[in-house]
Amino acid sequence: MRRPARRSQHRLGIARILFLALFLVIGGRAIQLQVLQGEKLMRLGHRQHLKEWIVLPKRGALFDRTGEPLALSMESQSVYARPRRIHDVEKLSHNLARILKLRAADVKEKISAEKPFVWVKRQVSSSEAEQIQTLNADGIGMFYEPNRHYPQGQLAGQVIGFVGLDSEGLEGLELKYNNYIRGETGSSVAERDALGRRVLVQGVEGLHIPPGSDLHLTVDTSIQHMAEKELEASIRKYRAKAGVVIVVEPFTGEVLALANYPSFDPNNYSKQSAEQRRNRAVTDSFEPGSTFKTILAAAALEEGVVGKEDLFYCEMGKYSYAGKIIHDTHPHGWLPFSKILQVSSNIGFTKVAEKLKKERFFKYIEKFGFGEPTGIDVPGEAAGLVRKPDKWAAIDLATHGFGQGISTTPLQMVMAYAAIANGGFLMRPYVVRRAVGSKGEVLMQNQPHVVRRVISEKTATLLSSMLQDVTTEGGTGTMANIEGFTVAGKTGTAQKADPVHGGYAAKKRVASFIGFVPANKPRLVALVLIDEPEVNVYGGVVAAPVFRNVARGALRYFAVAPQKPAALPAAPLRPEAPPRHVVKRPNVKQVEDSAEAAPDFVGLSLREALEKAQALKVKVRLQGSGYVIKQSPAPGGRWSEEAGLVLSLQG
Amino acid sequence: MAPAGAQARKSNAVKRERPAPHTRRTQHRHVFLIGILTAGLVALVLIHVWLRLQVVHTGYVLSTTSKLQSRLEQENRELKIELATLTSPERLELMARQRLGLRTPEKGQVIVLP
Repeated sequence: MRRPARRSQHRLGIARILFLALFLVIGGRAIQLQVLQGEKLMRLGHRQHLKEWIVLPKRGALFDRTGEPLALSMESQSVYARPRRIHDVEKLSHNLARILKLRAADVKEKISAEKPFVWVKRQVSSSEAEQIQTLNADGIGMFYEPNRHYPQGQLAGQVIGFVGLDSEGLEGLELKYNNYIRGETGSSVAERDALGRRVLVQGVEGLHIPPGSDLHLTVDTSIQHMAEKELEASIRKYRAKAGVVIVVEPFTGEVLALANYPSFDPNNYSKQSAEQRRNRAVTDSFEPGSTFKTILAAAALEEGVVGKEDLFYCEMGKYSYAGKIIHDTHPHGWLPFSKILQVSSNIGFTKVAEKLKKERFFKYIEKFGFGEPTGIDVPGEAAGLVRKPDKWAAIDLATHGFGQGISTTPLQMVMAYAAIANGGFLMRPYVVRRAVGSKGEVLMQNQPHVVRRVISEKTATLLSSMLQDVTTEGGTGTMANIEGFTVAGKTGTAQKADPVHGGYAAKKRVASFIGFVPANKPRLVALVLIDEPEVNVYGGVVAAPVFRNVARGALRYFAVAPQKPAALPAAPLRPEAPPRHVVKRPNVKQVEDSAEAAPDFVGLSLREALEKAQALKVKVRLQGSGYVIKQSPAPGGRWSEEAGLVLSLQG
Repeated sequence: MAPAGAQARKSNAVKRERPAPHTRRTQHRHVFLIGILTAGLVALVLIHVWLRLQVVHTGYVLSTTSKLQSRLEQENRELKIELATLTSPERLELMARQRLGLRTPEKGQVIVLP
């Protein structure tokens, strides 16, 4: 028994040594892997099973004042090639060209380039992307890129601007508010499996990169559309070169519409000229012409130099001043100041300017904001050109008085008129109301901002009443008149400077109209400027009707009740569209209305009921359509004016 | 080795004797404890592996759901663009005029209530 015991002990000893050696080797290897090469191996490992996923910036959207989207972002795919991995260039270039609608030769040139990476086509459609995927070609891949869409097309194109392929704002609000809208580019590291698929074992927290803020604009798509449509119609009718319409809320400075022609569609910005991209309303300066007479009138009235009824002799249309002859379109004799404005007499205004003197005139030119940018939140704003009075030639006092020899932007002009409309305050215009973050937090807000008081309320009211005469019988702006409303405004027909020969071009004119409505309680101020019309050049003919149509549409849109009842013609009949249901009017006799008793609406048609409600200033609530079959309270019954009436209609 | 040999002999001598019942119980208890500990350890390792597998599985589910979310968001954006394009004032006016035969109201046809 001794031998086997000794042998087994011997074996046990060998096993111990073996195990010890084995553990030493394992331990040594572990130290080598974990300590000596640990860092390097860890890096190699991470490279294999961890991948950085780029999270593209999510650009914020742009909305109009009613929440209609003007600019939205999407992700689209771009096709790239790694030329060194491509085997059959000929066949692949042919296939790619067919799918992507490109020239095969161009594609071949791209994918056979001596570069590690080339774009084949950026921002392809989803069907193109699907077809590329089915190709399953080596060396061809796709990458997600943000893509900007402007669903309203050319609507307010110059105001909105556009973004480049790299999602950076290049023009308009996209550029001005780029920092708010852009959103952050981020990346998240996640594990991937053997097939390269992402496995989110760390959760999705890292994927949340805050998107850009949304911008809410003051612009209203409906009014903007009306402005653009009317502007284009007028430009086509009078064969003009370009044009601008601006609609502003006078008490806040909010821009409701800012239309430019030629129009610009940001969806295809690369295919359109710089001429189309330009936001002329803020970047271009014009000699304003007669619309500037209002500024002189405001200065003269405020300074007490003239009164509304002060008489001036208008020299029967020809007046020699500072060695030059000043003409009027029509000869006039003695005219009161209000009439001078109404007929837009250059001679009359020259005499007013003479009385005011250039220093005081200049003071108001500056106060009204000319010669400096208005501060609107749109890039590229021009300041206009206003010289100091010591640089004025003798004739400048007269020419400045009727808006020549001085240049202003359309926006400066409309803001000056807004100051008259709102009782004398120059407001800072703005296009963006607020920037809202992804959680609904307001990051930036533009509030109405008074730049300064320019004229007193009394002067503003007086001038407003004088401007109303311009649009009534005998004035130059009668075509701006809107039925049911009083319109205050001024026409302008300015000569254009000739940059080649100096002086003024013989036939080039800028026709304009600026006005506000309703004159005594303005809801909007609008400017219409038509550049180089050919068929007719007068502001009262070319621009005033555009103002009327845009302002009338906007007043209807805002549901502003007319101040004076308009003539109510019978509803126009459409012979091509006969009424589908012939409804017999209920045979009901109307009850005489008295002050205490509820007025009788039963038996009236919807239109008649509304007319009656408007005439009696009665609040009514309508249920149904057709003819009034029942009303509550009943005709002749007790009622209160505050509660109004409920009319049930049928038919 | 001599004392070790003596000890072995001694233990052989002991082996021949019947172990006391309480020693056997202690031995059993030790074996049982070791068994429990080993089983616990194995269970822990298995739980750990199971959890790890669950994490990976959930990672896959999250990844798929995240992709679905992105796709739905993209679809939502596409639909928003489509809706905005279809309801743009220009198109609405065109449809109203051409398809429905509507036109701008004449004067007096729009009545604004006080």
